[in-house]
This record gives sequence, structure tokens and C-alpha cells, in this order.
Amino acid sequence: MRHTPGQRILTALSQVALWIWVLLAMVPLVWMVTTSIKPEGYAQTIPPTWQFQPTLQHYVDVLEGAAVTPFGPLLLHSLVVAVGSTALALVLGLFAAYALARLRFKGKRFLAMWILSTIMFPPVVAVIPIFIMAGRLQLIDRYLTLIVPYAAFNLPLVIWVLRSSIRQIPEEIEDAALVDGASRMEIITRIVLPLAAPGIATAGILSMLLAWNEFLFALTLTRSQVKTAPVGISEFTGMFGTQWGSLSAAATIIVAPVVIMALMLRRHLIEGLTLGAVK
Amino acid sequence: MKPTREESNGIGWALVTPAVGVLLLMTIFPALYLLWASFRRFNLMMPENAAFIGLENYRNIVTNADIRHSMLVTILFVVAAVGIELVLGLLLALMLAPKSRSNAAAATLLILPMAVTPVVSALVWRELFNPNYGWVNYYLRKIGIMGEPIAWLSSPQTAWFTVISLDVWQWTPFVALILMAGLQGIPPEPREAAAVDGAEGWRLFWDVTFPLLRPFVAIAVLLRTLEAFKTFGTIRVLTGGGPGISTEIINLTIYRTALQDFSVGAGASLGIAFLVFLSILVPQMLRVLARDSDLVEA
Repeated sequence: MRHTPGQRILTALSQVALWIWVLLAMVPLVWMVTTSIKPEGYAQTIPPTWQFQPTLQHYVDVLEGAAVTPFGPLLLHSLVVAVGSTALALVLGLFAAYALARLRFKGKRFLAMWILSTIMFPPVVAVIPIFIMAGRLQLIDRYLTLIVPYAAFNLPLVIWVLRSSIRQIPEEIEDAALVDGASRMEIITRIVLPLAAPGIATAGILSMLLAWNEFLFALTLTRSQVKTAPVGISEFTGMFGTQWGSLSAAATIIVAPVVIMALMLRRHLIEGLTLGAVK
Repeated sequence: MKPTREESNGIGWALVTPAVGVLLLMTIFPALYLLWASFRRFNLMMPENAAFIGLENYRNIVTNADIRHSMLVTILFVVAAVGIELVLGLLLALMLAPKSRSNAAAATLLILPMAVTPVVSALVWRELFNPNYGWVNYYLRKIGIMGEPIAWLSSPQTAWFTVISLDVWQWTPFVALILMAGLQGIPPEPREAAAVDGAEGWRLFWDVTFPLLRPFVAIAVLLRTLEAFKTFGTIRVLTGGGPGISTEIINLTIYRTALQDFSVGAGASLGIAFLVFLSILVPQMLRVLARDSDLVEA
């Protein structure tokens, strides 16, 4: 196709507009990272300081707990909950996804629709009874009490991503194994598991990311034993006002792993977040 | 050798049961519990005194002006945020769709806001919009857009601006990347044919490209709407629902009522009303979506 001068100007303008948006969208992250390495006293200045000697002091303060509660344990709690809930969701999700992708059974269509429909369930509605029950069962502030709800809320996504990746495996491989006398369990663990590995990676990383970022359940169901990093940082604005250096250092520590995970997924991020509807 | 129907039935249910069990435990059980609690004067401070009071909690929803305000504000938030994200996302997608190295880099950078922990983005927003030391006030005044510094979180209108701008910053890329994938998947032939027939510019987009893009628009709007209705942490940290109750969306109201004031009965009735509202809205949206997409094809 030929390009008229008008079209060329339009293309150039749209590139400029696109990059203005992209650069503006980076400003909050630039604020976060630069503030975290500014020496004490440089963070809250007007006009903002751009020339300073970078320091890692705020990171040390945050991890050692000089400013507020030590942040290390909170990160550990977040990690345990993210890994635990992801493992649970992947195991339960793989079996369910296999059944939905490959087997014919009564009520399958309804079941698939019901699983999908649970993504609309508002977490704030779920958290109230779970809080009351966890209180009665003495389960407040335990890993399990966060792991199970997180796994449940990530299950529709995990099942949908795995189902579509299992469907791409040629069925003949499984048929051959069935003829050789393999059980369904062996087929799932020996054939489906390795061949669906890319889908499992996508579902797993997404589930970790969502669990790591979750706030409502963590706020309600944890106290000090398993308090997660997002809850910890939300309590930073204490009686002394905000310490911007510590706040932004803690923020950078929380955000760095999820940003890396999202970048690892690239295009699969959208595929996963749309439950496979957009490839 | 295909498994027989009976064999498949048993194995199928055995394989889905654990997942279904966990999902039931975290959705249907809470819903039933709340339904039970919603007919009672149930306070967590005196849990043994859960007297049956019929529809009184529900009557209170209808008569209480603060709750009506909260419902209205929730719908305004979702419509405004998703609407703005759709318009800006479509514009970005059109700019991003031509394949080039520069566009690939832009698309990668746009992933970053989506990954940021919502609570962290709310904390960063609060400092960016800080009336005394925030970058927003300083740089907007420096380039002459704004005169006097604004105390963004102190008046309802500007507080709403910060809340919506946060959601738009974080989630416009999601809409943009979905629509970009859609645009890149549209074959060039229909456009070229229409261009030969003399269609151009806006008409070419509206009559030829947009209809092909509709399934992607539908998915983006549906998923963004569902997520926007779940918003909690960002607004709680950014404004706490304030000033006053001006940005208190229903999730914050339910949380405060049931888990801070401990009026579980009142909070439960609100939760049930919200659930009923969503169960009416979402199938309607799905019906529109099902016309365009195979997302719901089981």
C-alpha cells in the first residue's frame, strides 16, 4: 500500500502520543525507585531533587526494621502463601482441567460454566463468613487460612488456562497409552504433565502474582504470625507520618518480583488474564 | 480404545471433585452463611444473640441514604473507570498495532503498571498527589497547567480524580493489549477491499475494523467490569472512602459494616444484595459476549 504524506504525519504523531503515554505511565515507578535511593532529607523537597548520592540505607532500614516492623518476615509470609496456594491450585486445577478437556461425563457443561462463573464472586462477600469460621476454628493468622482461599480464587483461571493447553496435546498419544494399559492417573502424570508444561508455567506464574498482590483476605485473616507484605506496607503511615524513603524502598522490594514475573510472561500475561480468550 | 461412558462418568467426577469442593467451600458456603445471617440482628461482639428479625436488614438498605450513596458511587466508579480505560485503551491499541521494534518496546513497558501490587500503587499515588511535596502539584504548576496547589484528597471531586486516575493508569494497558492482539489478528483483506471501494479514515475503521474487533472489546469490558466491582485495597489505602463517604464504594461499606462495626447481619444483607445485583448483571453481559466470542463455549 502506498502511504500519502498525510498518513506519514499521522503515523509520526501517533508514535509521539504513544510514547508520551508510556513515559507518563512510568512516572510512578520512577518516583518509587528514585525516592528509595535518595539520602534522608532529599525525598521530600520542593522542587524535587534529581542530583544526589544514591544510597541503599533505606533498604537496610526496612529489612532490619529500623523504621517500622522488620520487613523480611513479611516477605517470607507472602512467599509461603503465594507458593503454597499456587501449588494447591495447580494440583487441583490439573485434574479438573484434564477431566474437562478430555473426558465425557454428565453435567460437564454445567460444571464448566459454574467454575467460570465463580470469577464474578465478590471477595468481600466471601471474606466475612471465612473470617467468622476461621475465628471459631482458631485458624486466624495461619498459613492455611490464606492458602485455601487464594487457591480457590485462582482456580477458574488455572483450570481455564490448563484446559486450553491440554486440548492442544494430540489425543492419539493418550489413546496409545490407554491401549498399552496405562491408567488415567499415569496418563495425567506421565504424558499430560510434561506436555502441558508451558500452560502450567503460565498458570503458575499468574497465580503467584495474584496471590502475592492480594490485600483484602490478608488484611482480614492475618495478625502478626503470617502477615503479608502488602498489609505490612499499608501500615507504614504511622503516628510519625510517612517516611518516604522507607516506604518507597519497601514498595520497590514488593513490586520487583511481580514485575519480573509479569515480564517473563509477556504476551502470555494477557492470554492468562483473559482465561485464554485472547491468544 | 475410548473409555466407555460409564467409566468416564466416574473418573470425570472423581477428577473434578477436589477442585469443585474447594470452590464450593469458598463461594457457595459463604453465600449461604451470609443469607442466613442477613435475616438476623447478628453482632460479632454478641454472637450468641443472633435474633431473627426478618427483612429488617434489607429494609434498612432501601431506606438508608448512606447505603444508597455507596451503591450509586460504586456504579459511577465502575462505569467511569471502565469507560475511560476502553476509550484510551482503544487509542493506544491503534497506535501499538503496527508491528515495529518501538511498538514492541512500548507494549513491554505497558505491562509494568498491571503487575504493581495495588496497595503499593495506592501508596505511591498518595505521595505523588501529596499537596505539599507531591510531584503532581509541583510539575503541573511548573508547566503552567495549574495555579494554586491542590489538596487532592480533601475534596470529593479531586479525590475521585485521584481514584479514577489510579485505576486508569493501572488497567488501561490491559484493555490496550487485548485490543492490540485483536487488531493484529484482523486479516488485511477486508480493509484493503474497502479502501479500494473508496472507504477511508474514520469510516474505514468504524465500518470495517471495529466490527471485527468487537469480540475483543466485549472480553476487555467484561473482565474489567468484573474486576472493578471487586476493587477494595486501592481505594481503602488511597482515600479510605473519604473525604467523608464520598469515595466509599460498596466493598468498603460492606467491610466496614461487618468487620469493623461488627454488624454482620447488616453487612450480610448488603453482601447478598450485591451478589444478587452481580448475578443479574453478569449473565446479561455474558449474553452479549457469547454472540461475539468463544470464551464461554464449554
